[in-house]
Amino acid sequence: MRNDLELDAIIEDYLLGKLNPQETEAFEQLRRNDAAVDHKVVSHKVFLQSMKDFAVQLRLKEQLNSIHSEIDVEKLASELRPHPSRIVKMWRTNKAAISIAASFVLLSLVSIYSLQHNSQQSDRLVQMRLEVNNIKKSQSNLIRNIKTSHPQNNQNPNPVNPGNFGGTGFAISSNGYILTNLHVINGADSVYIQNSKGDSFKVKTVYSDTQYDIAILKINDKNFDNLSALPYTIKRNGTGVGENVYTLGYPKDDAVLGDGYISSKNGFTGDTTQYQVSIPVNPGNSGGPLLDNNGNLVGVISAKNLADGAAFAIKSKYILEAMRAIPQDSLGKKLTVNRKSSLAGLKRTKQIEKLQDYVFMIKAY
Amino acid sequence: MNNSLNSSVPTDREVILGILNNSEDILNKLYKGYFAMILQFILNNNGNEDDAKDVYQEAIIILYNKIKEGNFELSSKLKTYIYSVCRRIWLKKLSQNSKKAGNITDYEDVFAVEEDVDYHEEKDLQFVKMQSALDHLGEPCKTIIQDFYIQNLSMQDICEKFGYTNTDNAKTQKYKCLQRLKKIFFQP
Repeated sequence: MRNDLELDAIIEDYLLGKLNPQETEAFEQLRRNDAAVDHKVVSHKVFLQSMKDFAVQLRLKEQLNSIHSEIDVEKLASELRPHPSRIVKMWRTNKAAISIAASFVLLSLVSIYSLQHNSQQSDRLVQMRLEVNNIKKSQSNLIRNIKTSHPQNNQNPNPVNPGNFGGTGFAISSNGYILTNLHVINGADSVYIQNSKGDSFKVKTVYSDTQYDIAILKINDKNFDNLSALPYTIKRNGTGVGENVYTLGYPKDDAVLGDGYISSKNGFTGDTTQYQVSIPVNPGNSGGPLLDNNGNLVGVISAKNLADGAAFAIKSKYILEAMRAIPQDSLGKKLTVNRKSSLAGLKRTKQIEKLQDYVFMIKAY
Repeated sequence: MNNSLNSSVPTDREVILGILNNSEDILNKLYKGYFAMILQFILNNNGNEDDAKDVYQEAIIILYNKIKEGNFELSSKLKTYIYSVCRRIWLKKLSQNSKKAGNITDYEDVFAVEEDVDYHEEKDLQFVKMQSALDHLGEPCKTIIQDFYIQNLSMQDICEKFGYTNTDNAKTQKYKCLQRLKKIFFQP
């Protein structure tokens, strides 16, 4: 018995690492030689481990109990106890389901609202279409009604003569090619142009593009001598919003200067082929050149929104596209793009002086 | 109170790091954070406040040990884990007491935690055995063993506490007690 106790003490000290190296060595020797001792060591190890776990567990439980005592369980319980009212009970048990249902209702409300919103938008779209019609009117209004005796062309349609219109055009090459809006000359029997000195020339349409509303005319008159080199270039790239621009046009018998700036990089209802321009234009300005201060041609005046007075100009890129689109062999004279601007750095008055020889009044009969 | 408790629930990461670092504050917050959820579950499923306390503490211990063992993978929210463990434990208890467990009213998502609960029960069995062995030991052995192994008192302290003339006597007494305890504990 006494020996057993001593053995136990040694085993425990051994397991807890309290023996000195010599003793450890001796004990391990004993353990190897005596299976019964070894068995005791192992079982004591298991026991100590269980005891340790047990201690940890007890301490943790104590800790939890002390935390638990801080909670006002009574009050919580009374709040969370099955409620006599079935509605409250239902709410508690089906909280998630009810919230999902509620969010569905909300979602459907939102979607209904957005549908309404959409339909409102389509309303607006219809209205815009009306405005498009207005614009068409305004476009035809931009074409100057030459016969002032018929101020309201739409109300007095003349079946025999569809009306005499005017607009503006400008030279895109020195050998007699003129560019204007298609709607200026569309449906005309014959088209004449008149320069700033008052000379008239007959022209024929060599190219028309309904998509971009562009028409290219060619002076077909033996009295016409070639122009000197063009003073402006046609700009390849886009022009930024805020760029100062001006246009020269024929809303009346003399050329009129309009001055303004690019106000938006897209045109009517986001039309990417046009700029929106804040510039005063009137019927007759259609087809007029839109130039920046450096003498680059940035667009062609084409329309005006009657509602807010914004003007629109076809981007110069599409002029170049139109020029390229003409089959070169169908042309009698070659159409080349001018690459050098002689307007850059000149004062506005000088620019206009040079420019006016290249801007023409278009008369369609 | 409930709200103020819930508002300070630590994040799942904080809980894991806190437990690994033996932070009492985090354990406190964790305990208070989810107790209401379990209380509600137990109260609405044929249990009372004490059941809730037992079940909840068991779940917290399972979580605690799992984190301590270092193999806790946060595959779901801690809240879901705790709820699932409590639900599992409570279902077992209900079926043991042959109370009806037909339709459990659920308040949260549940996922499978059977393994964790079973593992815990196995370990718990050992603790029950240890506790009953200690109870069978009788005084003063029980207190000596508890003081030495659980309270971590030194033999010197124990010697003074029980009025032994010297520590050797106390040691002898302790080993006698230990021998008896081991005998009871290892009894099949």
